[in-house]
Amino acid sequence: MKALPTFIAKLIRTICPDHLVDQIEGDLIELYNYDVKTIGHARARRKLFWTALRFFRPGILMRNRVSLNPPSASMLSNYSKIAVRVMSRSKTITAINISGLAFGLSAALLLFVWIYHEFSFEKFHRNRERLYVAWNRAHENGEIHCWSTTPRVLAPTLQKEYASIEHAVSFAQWGSTQRFRVGEKNVLKTTGAYTEPSFLSMFSFPLLKGDAATALNDPKSIVLTEDFARDLFGNRDPLGETVTVSEDEHNFEFTVTGVLKDLPSNTAFNFEYIIPYSFIDTNWGLDDFWGNNSVLTLVMTKPDVNDQFVNEQVRDVEKKHYKDGQHIEIFLYPFLKNRLYSRFENGVPAGGRIDEMIVVSILAICLVLIGCINFINLSTARAQKRAKEISVRKVTGAVQRSLVVQFLVESMITCGVAALLSLGLAYVLLPYFNIVMQEQLSFFELPVSFWAYFAGAIGLVSLLAGGYPAFYLSSLPSLRVLKIGGTASKTNKVMRSTLVVAQFGIAIVLIVGSIVVYRQSAFLQNMERGYAVNNLVYVPLTGELQKNYSAFREELLSQGVASAVSRTSTPFTEQWSSTGSMTWAGKNPEDRTDIERIVTDEGMVKTAALTLIAGRDINLKEYPSDSTAVVINESALRLMNFKDPIGETIRDNGIDWKIVGVVKDFVFVSPFIQKSPVVLFGNKYSSSLSFVYIRLDEKMPITKVVGAVEAAHRKYNPDYPFELHFADAEYQRSFHFLESTQTVAGAATVLAIFIACIGLLGLSIYMIEVKRKEIGIRKVLGGSVFGITRLLSASSLRPIVLAVIIFSPMSWFAMESWLGLFPYRTSLDLGMFLLATILILLVAVLTVSTQTIKVALNNPVDSLRSD
Amino acid sequence: MANVFLNEFEELALTMVAVLKEDAYGAAITMEMEKLLERKVTLSAVHVALYKLEDKGYLKSKVGGATNERGGRSKRIYTITNSGTVLLKAMREKRVELWGMVPQFKTI
Repeated sequence: MKALPTFIAKLIRTICPDHLVDQIEGDLIELYNYDVKTIGHARARRKLFWTALRFFRPGILMRNRVSLNPPSASMLSNYSKIAVRVMSRSKTITAINISGLAFGLSAALLLFVWIYHEFSFEKFHRNRERLYVAWNRAHENGEIHCWSTTPRVLAPTLQKEYASIEHAVSFAQWGSTQRFRVGEKNVLKTTGAYTEPSFLSMFSFPLLKGDAATALNDPKSIVLTEDFARDLFGNRDPLGETVTVSEDEHNFEFTVTGVLKDLPSNTAFNFEYIIPYSFIDTNWGLDDFWGNNSVLTLVMTKPDVNDQFVNEQVRDVEKKHYKDGQHIEIFLYPFLKNRLYSRFENGVPAGGRIDEMIVVSILAICLVLIGCINFINLSTARAQKRAKEISVRKVTGAVQRSLVVQFLVESMITCGVAALLSLGLAYVLLPYFNIVMQEQLSFFELPVSFWAYFAGAIGLVSLLAGGYPAFYLSSLPSLRVLKIGGTASKTNKVMRSTLVVAQFGIAIVLIVGSIVVYRQSAFLQNMERGYAVNNLVYVPLTGELQKNYSAFREELLSQGVASAVSRTSTPFTEQWSSTGSMTWAGKNPEDRTDIERIVTDEGMVKTAALTLIAGRDINLKEYPSDSTAVVINESALRLMNFKDPIGETIRDNGIDWKIVGVVKDFVFVSPFIQKSPVVLFGNKYSSSLSFVYIRLDEKMPITKVVGAVEAAHRKYNPDYPFELHFADAEYQRSFHFLESTQTVAGAATVLAIFIACIGLLGLSIYMIEVKRKEIGIRKVLGGSVFGITRLLSASSLRPIVLAVIIFSPMSWFAMESWLGLFPYRTSLDLGMFLLATILILLVAVLTVSTQTIKVALNNPVDSLRSD
Repeated sequence: MANVFLNEFEELALTMVAVLKEDAYGAAITMEMEKLLERKVTLSAVHVALYKLEDKGYLKSKVGGATNERGGRSKRIYTITNSGTVLLKAMREKRVELWGMVPQFKTI
């Protein structure tokens, strides 16, 4: 006959109700012995373990009489009274406990509000489960690339040819500048979307006025958001009104057929007006070229259509219709995933924004944990202080369970107070957090469920913080405590040191993280841009400026306001057009590397201050044939592999272009993406020139120069409001993400160090209380102040040194993988870790020594006199 | 019987108690169910079902004899009550009645 292993017996005795436990144990033993005979000892033991573990279920747990009998109200009030007394007796410790938890909780609260908001994205669409975005998956040069811009013709094809698709629409938001004119009112907007009528029935953007089913049917109709409509029409009813929209030299009249409710903050769409795609189709013809990826294709499947099924169907749609697209597959990616899970590596989803969410949640939890550890450590360290009380309670008949409840009440009160404080603190900090994150988060928009989770989390935190101390304190052996006054247990000390190691480990990782983020940001800021962003501005080439451009340019140059002026199709910080089908002599036909196109008229090398390494700038005055000239960058040269590039021709869009110059690589779009091959084209496509880049004179004061540009603009383009972009500000914009990471990481680091250090402070205060007499005796026997300080500090600092040793490699790996996300990255060096170590040790030494020096300086008489 | 709900597992447990008569206790029911029904049965699930059935008054229990193979622990032996028997019968009748309403049932 085999008995139950001790730990299983213990487990069963803990979780099962007393009146049933005997028979349960008997059944377990019986089954176990039966199993030993039939399936062998090892398997029987394993099976027993799982069978026993399964008793951890509500049907059993809820039968425990105790859990159904909460402590009586009078006991609870007694516990709270005692808790308040204990808390007010040692005010410093209470302050440390509460403030540590409160700071940690408020930071976590802010971060979780943000995460919650991110997860609420697009959840409001009624058809969310049936919405998809069409993506391309292409085998290129041995790798699989995925991207989501698709040909215009994809949507109508899907709609027509596949029965399982209910709606498919093209959606485009090119961000071109359009002028709206209603009577005397002129407004410039770049937030227009082009899409098809069913868009309004697929996505839940309700119309306040107008009929969603028909609003976009007429090519000359337009739908505005409430805000924009008010902006244009004031309090008039906009429905049926006409508005003149102008782009370049074209003017079109649209009739307002719908007013959208303003878009909620939890959608990735950011349009302010919608123009039917049929408007473009009727004016410029339907773009049925499969090679032109210019729009998003949004799809809604019929109800109950399985994702896998529809994906198998649509996979080869491009292959069927496009002879040059045999390497491209189309797949439908769930719209709900498109925001958080949109990074693809070699054709398979590889996370995306979700990784950031996970890191931030871990960060939030760590900050709360550091606060919890303070509570655990300070409660167990001060066990001796409570020993007498516990013993007396035990001697007078308290069972362990009631003591556990008593200590849990204490931790609940602490956590409750901390939670209330954290709510206030987070409320005060939210506006600043919004500025850093560039969000409009609000506590009042959060649903009740969020607060229910918050309350649950507080409960969990109080169990986490109070659980161990409660069991530890209530299990102190009472007789020994009463007799000899209790001694600190060894395991408890180890436990405390381990927790301190964890606290400071988190702090170390955060310090290293902050340093690395800062270094990476500085690295990218100082990276060779390849063009000069200072004193470089651009204005959109709109309205009459198209016609008057030469005069505008001459005026700026002759006034000495500008040293060079050029037109381009796109700002250097935005991507406009790229192609994989450019050809040149000796090109490998399999090579489909993307080349970025920028159209310019002339003199761009001078205007943007690009560095020529061969040949010359495009110059129409001296070389009239330069409208078909191109300047390529180094990466493009490397790709094309010309020995002597000048004079070579490349073919694009059916035209031969002559290379006249090569420039050094410059940062195109942003330093966060790999430098790609770029070709600056002559103005054969003059219709696509839409910006004027102006190199401002450096000597004149900036306000004067800008004033002069504005005056010239007013003169030559009186109908359009003046809009000026500074190249450096636009360049800086891409750093927003890094800057907010930097701020959040920095703040979290300071907070983590602060909470960990006040915990350390609490521990030192306690240690010194205990060692008062020892210190007195040491001084009497001739110990120096320095010697005593060192002795006292050393033991407090040991866990921190250990934390540095254990956690530095961890932070190294973490930061290596973070830096791996950037094509251009700084390197990690030992200096960063050294800096982090010195910083944390310095702060810790300062914290501890405030206490130790004070006590070492004390007159020993004060501490020894009392005996 | 209108407002009586037993889930499938509870019904089986109740039937097992009736089957095993004098020898119906947790371990025995578990083993018999595994043997007769050829499915995995968890001891804790059986216990929970028995407790619920007792609460509802279909079973009654008494603490019974300890044997050596149980390490000296007692058994909780269940017996079916009158209302339990009535319920079982009623459920069976309802089944048969429903079964009769299935048109030309064939196994595919």
